[in-house]
Amino acid sequence: MVDTTKNTKLFTSYGVSTSRTVSPEMAAKLISKAKRPLLMVGTLTLEPEILDRVVKISKAANIPIAATGSSMASLVDKDVDAKYINAHMLGFYLTDPKWPGLDGNGNYDMVIAIGFKKYYINQVLSAAKNFSNLKTIAIERGYIQNATMSFGNLSKADYYAALDELINAL
Amino acid sequence: MSKLTTGSFSIEDLESVQITINNIVGAAKEAAEEKAKELVNAGPTLFAGLESYRDDWNFKLLDRYEPVITPMCDQCCYCTYGPCDLSGNKRGACGIDMLGHNGREFFLRVITGTACHAAHGRHLLDHLIETFGEDLPLNLGQSNVLTPNITISTGLSPKTLGEVKPAMEYVEEQLTQLLATVHAGQESAEIDYDSKALFSGSLDHVGMEISDIVQVTAYDFPRADPEAPLIEIGMGTIDKSKPFLCVIGHNVAGVTYMMDYMEDHDLTDKMEIAGLCCTAIDLTRYKEADRRPPYAKVIGSMSKELKVIRSGMPDVIVVDEQCVRGDIVPEAQKLMIPVIASNPKIMYGLPNRTDADVDETIEELRSGKIPGCVMLDYDKLGEICIRLTMEMAPIRDASGITAIPTDEEFTNWVMKCADCGACMIACPEELDIPEAMGFAKEGDYSYLDILHDQCIGCRRCEQVCKKEIPILNIIEKAAQKQISEEKGLMRAGRGQVSDAEIRAEGLNLVMGTTPGIIAIIGCPNYPEGTKDVYYIAEEFLKRNFIVVTTGCGAMDIGMFKDEDGKTLYERFPGGFECGGLANIGSCVSNAHITGAAEKVAAIFAQRTLEGNLAEIGDYVLNRVGACGLAWGAFSQKASSIGTGCNILGIPAVLGPHSSKYRRALIAKNYEEDKWKVYDARNGQEMAIPPAPEFLLTTAETWQEAIPMMAKACIRPSDNNMGRSIKLTHWMELHKKYLGSKPEDWWKFVRNEADLPLATREALLKELEKEHGWEIDWKRKKVISGPKIKFDVSAQPTNLKRLCKEA
Ligand code: SF4
Ligand code: SF4
Ligand code: SF4
Repeated sequence: MVDTTKNTKLFTSYGVSTSRTVSPEMAAKLISKAKRPLLMVGTLTLEPEILDRVVKISKAANIPIAATGSSMASLVDKDVDAKYINAHMLGFYLTDPKWPGLDGNGNYDMVIAIGFKKYYINQVLSAAKNFSNLKTIAIERGYIQNATMSFGNLSKADYYAALDELINAL
Repeated sequence: MSKLTTGSFSIEDLESVQITINNIVGAAKEAAEEKAKELVNAGPTLFAGLESYRDDWNFKLLDRYEPVITPMCDQCCYCTYGPCDLSGNKRGACGIDMLGHNGREFFLRVITGTACHAAHGRHLLDHLIETFGEDLPLNLGQSNVLTPNITISTGLSPKTLGEVKPAMEYVEEQLTQLLATVHAGQESAEIDYDSKALFSGSLDHVGMEISDIVQVTAYDFPRADPEAPLIEIGMGTIDKSKPFLCVIGHNVAGVTYMMDYMEDHDLTDKMEIAGLCCTAIDLTRYKEADRRPPYAKVIGSMSKELKVIRSGMPDVIVVDEQCVRGDIVPEAQKLMIPVIASNPKIMYGLPNRTDADVDETIEELRSGKIPGCVMLDYDKLGEICIRLTMEMAPIRDASGITAIPTDEEFTNWVMKCADCGACMIACPEELDIPEAMGFAKEGDYSYLDILHDQCIGCRRCEQVCKKEIPILNIIEKAAQKQISEEKGLMRAGRGQVSDAEIRAEGLNLVMGTTPGIIAIIGCPNYPEGTKDVYYIAEEFLKRNFIVVTTGCGAMDIGMFKDEDGKTLYERFPGGFECGGLANIGSCVSNAHITGAAEKVAAIFAQRTLEGNLAEIGDYVLNRVGACGLAWGAFSQKASSIGTGCNILGIPAVLGPHSSKYRRALIAKNYEEDKWKVYDARNGQEMAIPPAPEFLLTTAETWQEAIPMMAKACIRPSDNNMGRSIKLTHWMELHKKYLGSKPEDWWKFVRNEADLPLATREALLKELEKEHGWEIDWKRKKVISGPKIKFDVSAQPTNLKRLCKEA
């Protein structure tokens, strides 16, 4: 079992509140319980190891994908429910209760972020963190302070193992 | 009160007493305001103030393009009541909330940038008036509209250096007012900070315009010249066998004296003069109006500063202002490179030798008695820098300074790496240094080599490495071959877009048949390395967009070559024309990019510029398909440039790092209410497509940025052919870079003629099947479906007051 709750070292601090660390099992439980989750997928997903796991998560828990940056290019033929949207716009729309969502059925109650540079996802999530009640879980290799919950900083091997544990627990 | 503003008079009977009045602060403005009253057709905002654009224009923009606040930090540490925890939009001890505080923070960035350009403009203006006199006529090439930004803000249309002064004063006065609003216990509404930021953005383009028009005029820069000379660019272009003077910053005034000294002493081929950042761009424009063979070179952007110093190549470094690293003196000192500070904005704690004897100062610097000095006398500066460079080169050679690690040192350092990962967490680019070190341990240096182009040379990795490995030097050593091959070409900044070019392109742009203007500007904080902007420029050029560029963006575009060894500047013409790559100049030349859009409204559509910002911004927003790209936006100046584009109706895409500006302007494309304008012919409301759907946002990758920008060139007033061309490009680019057709393409279709020709039939089928539109298949016409009624002669406007029956 990978301990994903330890190394929360940050180079820069974003102030007083930081995300809670979460284990893969716990993350899986929270995701399974969410009524309307959205998998927010960034460009690092172009790496095959992450892409493979993103597809598994989406399929296992039947979660639609918001494909941001250039990630859509790798998802088109993967038989997942993925739609392109710019991450900054998504970050804004998520704070609006009236947003119809990517499918027209309304806003989401949980966002799971994966495949981003830390600096970018931290900024994009800081809108939701400060101006909405949205729950966000970062299942990234780095600790994402502005999510509600996040893995700590992990080595590559531990990261992939943690994602596999999460997938198995879904 | 006397209306005397400038001049001289003598008092009778006291012939030896002469009182000279150069300038009475405020009086010049008063005179200008008088003059402005004479303008018959002036708009409502001559000499605009903090409140001028707020209700009539800014709030209209901000209603559709809502401020998106992404705080960098949830604390406020601004006054002694605090620090306050504002997380979750709480209010601090002074009563301001998180939104207000972040509005203030963004606004502060914008006025800082505005102040930088304005102060730069003031410095050049005063210096050039002193040198060339007030009466020097503004000479900017083939143009009647010389100063669109000055004219929009003040109504003035200066024709000489002296006549620029009231506009300068105007910017300075407003900047003081703006800065005052940042004080604790002042403005607290986020939306008003945003309105003030937009206003500051408009001033920024005045400050930039002043800086560039006076230097183009006085220094013989190319004047609206599409064939300005090609300039060598890149670290590999420096001939290391020659003494090398390296200049860094944004203000070319001092450097012109060095170049004059070189020319007077026949040294232009005996030493190298090259620069980083905008001083570099501007020194390659100096005296190039007659296209003489250039000898000054450009090294690159700010991200190369530390790398060039660490390479040990420069024999002397001169800095002026803006975008200059704070650690140049200690870094240079290690390699016996004297540093001369030539501008009072950066003095580095160095001894001031402005009044000292030139020979004595050279001796002090040569011997290393002082690591550098301040030199504010330009005549002396020119002489000292050149003589010192010639003297330092042999001294430094003889002392055997080698900055790049030897093979042995390199291996030892690599082996020391403990794979702790601290550097990767610290690196702002999140580069996987530990992994590259791991491969290097096994003798594979290619991973380190790759890091060179992505690394912005900030040293954060070195600061945290417990093994004290000089990581930057390691990367540079591994990339030696790549660095030696960094040799490109950039067209010297051409200056303004001429009136003739506007006339020739105006119709194409307004009708949409030239698919758009893509403006690629400044700063090197790219997510994936310098080649990003090359790819973007090339894609749009091949598709016949007009690509204009300035600053670091202009440089980086020239760093790469195609299979035939040609740079984009060699492959595409330098004019403001369909498929042209026009390098406008340095960062202050950005004013000519907004100026070009304003000129389309003024020259092509005969709109009044004087005091008429809202109407011009409205025109551009609804009719001129332009989109900016500040892919590596780093400095506060980038935020003010972008905000100035925004108030003038030009959207901008920024790189992912720019999310740290804390605010974007994004419209809700799903709220139908936001997508209505008036038809100026009759005042009736008309629906428009969600275009452009943002004024400022970030993209994650250059591949994402391309379709975003193509889409942002769509405008409500496109005619059918224009719309179909724009849709073709956007949909093709979306497919090419994001793997699929965009989801919302149909929202931009008003009738069958809007559809891309090649795929018209298939798209009609899709409209019928997926969106329930009725199609008359015999005539291949749309019968019903589109929400937008389109009439080619409609005149979309957001300003009710411009409507005939309003
Ligand atoms: S300015 Fe206001 S929010 Fe900021 S530290 Fe002072 S009291 Fe607190
Ligand atoms: S110097 Fe380069 S590698 Fe080091 S932290 Fe900065 S960007 Fe990263
Ligand atoms: S911080 Fe230093 S020791 Fe640690 S991984 Fe980076 S280079 Fe190696």
